[in-house]
Amino acid sequence: MEEPAGSETLLAKVAGTTTRTSRRNRLLANIALYVVAMALALAVSSVLIVAATEAAPFDVFHAMYEGSLSRPSAIGLTLDRAMPILIVAVGGIIATRAAMFNIGLEGQLMVGGLVGAVVALKLGLPAGAALPLTLVASAVGGALWAGIASLLRFWRGVDVVISTLLLNFVAIEVLSFALNKSWLLQETSSNTQKLPQSDRLEPAYQITRIGEQPGFSVSTGIFLAVILAGVVMFALARTRWGFRLKMLGMNPNAARAAGVSMAAVGGGALVMSGAFAGLAGGVVFAGTAFRIQPGYSANIGNDGLLCALIARRNVAATLPVAFFFGAMRAGGGFLAATGVPRYLVDVVQPLLVLAALLPPAVLFLWDRRQALRLARSEADSHDEPALIGAAA
Amino acid sequence: MVDDTPPSARTGEASTSPVAAVELKGITKRFGEVVACDRVDLSVSRGEIHGLLGQNGAGKSTLMKVLLGLLTPDAGTILINGRPVVVKDPLAAAEMGIAMVHQHFSVIGALTVWENVTLGEPGRLDGKRAIRHVTEIAERYGLDVDPLTRLDELTPGQRQRVEIIKCLRRDPTILILDEPTSVLTLSESEELFGTLRKVVLDEGRAVVLISHKLDEILNATDKVTIMRDGRVVERAVTAETDAAGLARGMVGRDVVLRSSAAGLGLLEEAERTVEQRTSATPDLDATGTAAAPVILRVDQARHTTRDGRTLLDGLSLELARGEILGLAGVEGNGQAALEEMLTSLIALDTGTVEVDGVEIRTGRPGSMANAGVTVIPEDRHQAGCVLGMTVAENLVLDDVQRVCNRRIISPRLIRRQAEELIEQFGIKTPSPNTPMASLSGGNQQRVVLARAIRREPKVLVAAQPTHGLDVGAVEYMTEQLRAAAARGVAVLLISTELEEILSLADRIAVIHRGRILGVVDRADVDLERIGLMMGGHPA
Repeated sequence: MEEPAGSETLLAKVAGTTTRTSRRNRLLANIALYVVAMALALAVSSVLIVAATEAAPFDVFHAMYEGSLSRPSAIGLTLDRAMPILIVAVGGIIATRAAMFNIGLEGQLMVGGLVGAVVALKLGLPAGAALPLTLVASAVGGALWAGIASLLRFWRGVDVVISTLLLNFVAIEVLSFALNKSWLLQETSSNTQKLPQSDRLEPAYQITRIGEQPGFSVSTGIFLAVILAGVVMFALARTRWGFRLKMLGMNPNAARAAGVSMAAVGGGALVMSGAFAGLAGGVVFAGTAFRIQPGYSANIGNDGLLCALIARRNVAATLPVAFFFGAMRAGGGFLAATGVPRYLVDVVQPLLVLAALLPPAVLFLWDRRQALRLARSEADSHDEPALIGAAA
Repeated sequence: MVDDTPPSARTGEASTSPVAAVELKGITKRFGEVVACDRVDLSVSRGEIHGLLGQNGAGKSTLMKVLLGLLTPDAGTILINGRPVVVKDPLAAAEMGIAMVHQHFSVIGALTVWENVTLGEPGRLDGKRAIRHVTEIAERYGLDVDPLTRLDELTPGQRQRVEIIKCLRRDPTILILDEPTSVLTLSESEELFGTLRKVVLDEGRAVVLISHKLDEILNATDKVTIMRDGRVVERAVTAETDAAGLARGMVGRDVVLRSSAAGLGLLEEAERTVEQRTSATPDLDATGTAAAPVILRVDQARHTTRDGRTLLDGLSLELARGEILGLAGVEGNGQAALEEMLTSLIALDTGTVEVDGVEIRTGRPGSMANAGVTVIPEDRHQAGCVLGMTVAENLVLDDVQRVCNRRIISPRLIRRQAEELIEQFGIKTPSPNTPMASLSGGNQQRVVLARAIRREPKVLVAAQPTHGLDVGAVEYMTEQLRAAAARGVAVLLISTELEEILSLADRIAVIHRGRILGVVDRADVDLERIGLMMGGHPA
């Protein structure tokens, strides 16, 4: 007689089905779900667009396409937008693998860019050394910001979700403080009325670009982002560290018994995801924004978080997802420029993101229903009530 | 002492009431091939506290679940006040006046006492009246508890009072308590029995007390029914029996015959490794022969949980090279904490653990594994394996470095090692890369065993290693444990199944309430004494 299995066992059983037909069915179901979800999102968007502007929905979607994918220059812009999101998402996956839910990536990005900007603008470094140091400083800034949450977690037991979320709000204040102090980051213009923003980064200090507008032009930061994704993918799959991270994320007790320290490995993963977010902040500053302003992070950290969540534990999946987010941003910007009200753009964009999120969610619910059914049939054969909770 | 008269005949002579408050006749309940209850008769009269005694798995809880309507019996009838009834669910049971205080509390920490008490009652909620009622019941039975405090602020003893108030508020005819004192201090237990006595004498209710503690049964009950392997083995009037008789009934005599036969094959081993320095009883010193070196020494281990329950209470034991020490005892007496401690999951408050003479820091991740202590855990899903990882990965869980070049995992090494172990331990899996979750329980257990043995540990801890396995898998596991001991591994076998311990162990230690009550050599096993110790009687 077998003991009734727990919910996670059953869920793993269902989701981990290995027969070829079931895998193919899952793939087909996935594709069908994406098609349906996208169609739904486009339909709802169309209704909203017609109701609000009387513009033809097709024109609107066409404009989004125009702005993001139609021409080489648009693709360059999409890649520019995708670059920091990808870096954030790759870091986010490191944390998720260890079951550390770092939702403060936005704040870590903000602080990272800020620290990078101080190094780039205030230390008077020679142009050659400045850029690498700027990026390293950004990563360190983000790591330290996430380190606060890590410290609180392992020293005082504060929930990571709560601390990282609240630290986002603190980061906004820190940014505002830095931009309002002339001895820190406030601009050094001769105007009497100084704005709360940093000086513009000199071209020599910026991340190099390839190509010339109006043709294809892209920041070389995208290569950094893709290389980082590759390195992390390998590290997670093939190194001892990646193995331990996975063990910790999937079964903390087994990990502990095997000698994996939650504080060192889990806390380390949290700090590392902060470093990636911080680096993304540095890349935004030195690659596309060139100036720190309030709100310069523009939700890039949150998009990166979403991207990591959609990609689940799979680094490779962050590449297309980040590209999609980049395209949304580029297309949305272009759409706003064509005269469609900004608020509509802000609705259409998340609707499309929701459509992208829907299939994995539906598949998860489907798996859980299967698991429940399996549990019931097992429970029947044992006449014992099997408890099924929501899977973590 | 043994009362063999059928219960129906006995109820006639009971002076308090002509008809039994509750009577179970021929209750049979099967789970697959296992017969949890086999034609069980039980009769409890008003004004009586009836003890239900038995080891884990004797069928006590199943029987009560049938009475509560949580399980449907395969055969048998239930009579309440002499009338046959069908208890189709717990709500129906409640209407018939059957109430149960569960071993694991079903109260909600975030709610106050009175809210918990009224929880699940139909109709409009009248807070003030409920509070008054709770206070009234609390006063009447001396169950001191403030109706306005939140449950999570209460001690386990107070939480239990809330459970009892919750039951009494519904004015039950029959009150069932499942191992009620397992979370209580001694004085709290005494208070509880005072209350029960009152409930029974003043109000003529019937109480069923499920317990494995002999003292409790002796002191608090009027009659006792002893169950073993799903059958009623004895019925007695408590006053006419004694601890030894109860222990015999609980542990059973037929066990001796079976296990001594199994023990024959073990004789050589048993002779080779007789070593007892932890002799709590005089007869142990007699047999000390070739003394193998002590590998694992736990000294005065103490561990208290955050909510104040003492799980290990000065536990000391020594384990020698090449011996199998069986740790017997009723479930929930600190075995889980000992296992967790040896898995480096929990740290001791005081006390020391030495492996091969070196003191180990408890609770530090991996400290035990690195010192050469490997564990086959009772619940392999808890710390034994990672279901989301592959079989190959699970086989190197605690020793990844072995399949690494520098810090990079070699797919070739991990695969080769997996194939070797799969072959050697006969793990049935489609491939080394199959997810652990899709293996059967027995094969998952083999993976855990393979990993534990592959590390060539100094100490192998096996907690309920055959739990939930089929006959073949049990045999395999047993062989492996013996083979490990023969290679010189010190094996600690934690089990609630006495038979398993008797057939495997060289020495038997009995754990009760977080401490070792005594250690007995396999050669001079006295079942009655083991039964007494399991029931909390130091013998």
